[in-house]
Amino acid sequence: MSTPSDHLSAAFLPAFLAGMSVNFAIASIALGIGLALGALFAIARLRGGWLALAAGSVIALMRAAPTFVIMFFLLNALPQGAGLPGALIVAGALVPYATAYVSDNGTKAIDQWHAGSALGALLFLPNIARAFFVLVMSSSAGAAIGVHEGIAVLLHEAEHLHATGDKLILFAIGVACFGIPLQATLAATRFLQDHLGARSMRDRGKIAKP
Amino acid sequence: MLWLLHAAGAPSVYAAEPPDAALSQRLLEARAAAAVPNACTQPNADRLIRVLCAGRLRVGVRQSYPLFSEVRDGNRTGYEIDIVRDIAARLGVGVAFVNVEASNRIQFLADDKIDLVVAEMGDNVQRARQVRFIRPHYERSQTILVGPNDGRSGDWNAVDGQTVCVTVGNGSNARMLSHGIRLMLFDTAEALVDRLTDGTCDWAAQDDSFFAYYFTLPDFRTRFAPKFGFSEVPWGMAVARDGSEQLARVLDLMSQVFHRDGVFLAAARANHIDTVFLAQQRGVWSRAGCDTASGSADPACVLPSADASMPATSFAAAVTAFEVWVHRTFGFEPMLPMLKTVPAWDLFLDGIVNSLVLVAGALAATLVFAVLFGRALGSHAWPLRWLARGIAIVLQSSPILLTLVVAAAVLHALAPNSATIALAAAILALGASNGANAGQAISEAYLTLQAEAPDRAPDCHLFRDALRRSATQIMSFLINAAKGTPIASFIGAPELLTALTDISSFSTGRATTYTLLLVFYTVVVMVVVWLMHRFQLMLERGHRPA
Repeated sequence: MSTPSDHLSAAFLPAFLAGMSVNFAIASIALGIGLALGALFAIARLRGGWLALAAGSVIALMRAAPTFVIMFFLLNALPQGAGLPGALIVAGALVPYATAYVSDNGTKAIDQWHAGSALGALLFLPNIARAFFVLVMSSSAGAAIGVHEGIAVLLHEAEHLHATGDKLILFAIGVACFGIPLQATLAATRFLQDHLGARSMRDRGKIAKP
Repeated sequence: MLWLLHAAGAPSVYAAEPPDAALSQRLLEARAAAAVPNACTQPNADRLIRVLCAGRLRVGVRQSYPLFSEVRDGNRTGYEIDIVRDIAARLGVGVAFVNVEASNRIQFLADDKIDLVVAEMGDNVQRARQVRFIRPHYERSQTILVGPNDGRSGDWNAVDGQTVCVTVGNGSNARMLSHGIRLMLFDTAEALVDRLTDGTCDWAAQDDSFFAYYFTLPDFRTRFAPKFGFSEVPWGMAVARDGSEQLARVLDLMSQVFHRDGVFLAAARANHIDTVFLAQQRGVWSRAGCDTASGSADPACVLPSADASMPATSFAAAVTAFEVWVHRTFGFEPMLPMLKTVPAWDLFLDGIVNSLVLVAGALAATLVFAVLFGRALGSHAWPLRWLARGIAIVLQSSPILLTLVVAAAVLHALAPNSATIALAAAILALGASNGANAGQAISEAYLTLQAEAPDRAPDCHLFRDALRRSATQIMSFLINAAKGTPIASFIGAPELLTALTDISSFSTGRATTYTLLLVFYTVVVMVVVWLMHRFQLMLERGHRPA
């Protein structure tokens, strides 16, 4: 009796892991740029006046622009894709989302800080961890423009499998590989939130006692 | 007297004249004209006279088109190079080669930078208005579909619903689209070979002349094979439309002689080029009816120009006028190919309608899945609760592209591949993925409500309050679903991204096209955001205690 692994090529697992590393690299670049730009926009929004209005409008546009369309826009509207490798085009397409997310959460965190809740402001960190995984998942869009990321490798391998059952098992392997780090991070985030929440309650209790 | 012979239906003296004699006569006349003092400096001198005066023929050729025209070890080699040298030898002049690209070869002729272009140029009706093609044609190409070398020949059914890698602007892209093929676009033909080799593309389509070289490479030949060909286009040498009448006529006659005497055929064999077309043409030009001085104008002998033109929309002229006005007023040149031809306009309209259907469907599906997951995750029946939790975790852990592919595979197993099935799969995947997250938010709100009022009965009112409490999260995932809809193009759903990618595969103006696409989807999502905000306010108003 053959197992699904009999049908997978020997090169699949190394190629898939290499592909997943591309997903993580794309997400890291997008988040890095998003953090820098998002911080600037957050500061601009908190300063008030016309600057806040302009920053808010740009962020609203960034929030609304679909990543998949931005990716095709960068690929086709820039001359020869500006000579950028596919992975950088995907990272560039994710930057508006990352910037808007960092700006929104950064603004809230700064508000919390000014309101005297350091722990509330610190919730910015688990939120960024969550955003990182959203970016990892979204970077699979690169498969549509020929980027060798994890999902592209998975789909290419699936082309060579004939039985639907084998394909579904292969997809399940992909879901597990992406899902385990994601679920672990979400669990850690929840733990951190609970921990920060408990500390906050304890601090309030201490302040209320005298 | 000649007129009388024609009227009587007898063969004319001119028609019966062999091409060799006509060629010799014209060359003799041209050399005599070139020898007249000041003939070479006359502004209206034909290019043939100027070539003979200068003693060299300036020819535009490609620099790196293996087997046809390339520079190897500092020397130009290839089928086209051999032809050019034969022509120059017959004219008794030298050759000055000038590198040209597909984008500038016609302009070089118009600017008088070259006298002749021999650069894999397909003879079609659009180009025939810009240049004077030399007939008979010296080669013919067709688009071939290259796929895995699995020993099977192919047809359109073999690639139905598949993704084929192509170059932008290839004239045969529209034909592939009409057969339900999805296209992945690349800027250069060399990129197709790279993407086939690294496994990004399983199929690629390009001229057979381009792939001819790669099929001489053992590694490539082992992995890939041509499956079938279509869209045949004759290749023509060309000269400028103005001021080259005599040169063109001489080259017409020379091409006839080259075909008949096997000069083209010998050059092709020497360069390892497929000779089926040239052998067939040699037969044509050896026939008594074609082997005459007027044979190159006889439709029974010469191949017609390929006609790749598409019917224009009724408002195409107005669109062109608008493009010109914008260019003059603002200095940039918008290109709106989706408004100019009927096939592009139809694709564009269908794309907009399908995108709106997709957005509405994704929103409705997200809402339905959110309620279902919310109910199931908050259920007191633990098997249902754990099943829903398991499905939600899987959906959260799966990149949306993978969820989309799985949904498409499941639906394709139930029904034949079609645009409707692709749209349905996209709605299902987007709805399930976002609905699972929204459903989790609803169940969490439900639990907090129960925790706040342990005595409250778990009825419909409690669930409705949970919906209200989680309204922000539900709205967020509804907006996310709307934003995600363009990804449906990955499985061939005929929404606007797919439509515009298809249009840009056979037209120009990609920058404007994709800018319009970005504007369209951003506006759609902003409208959805505004509607969701109104919906949320409505929900929250209902939540306020009286």
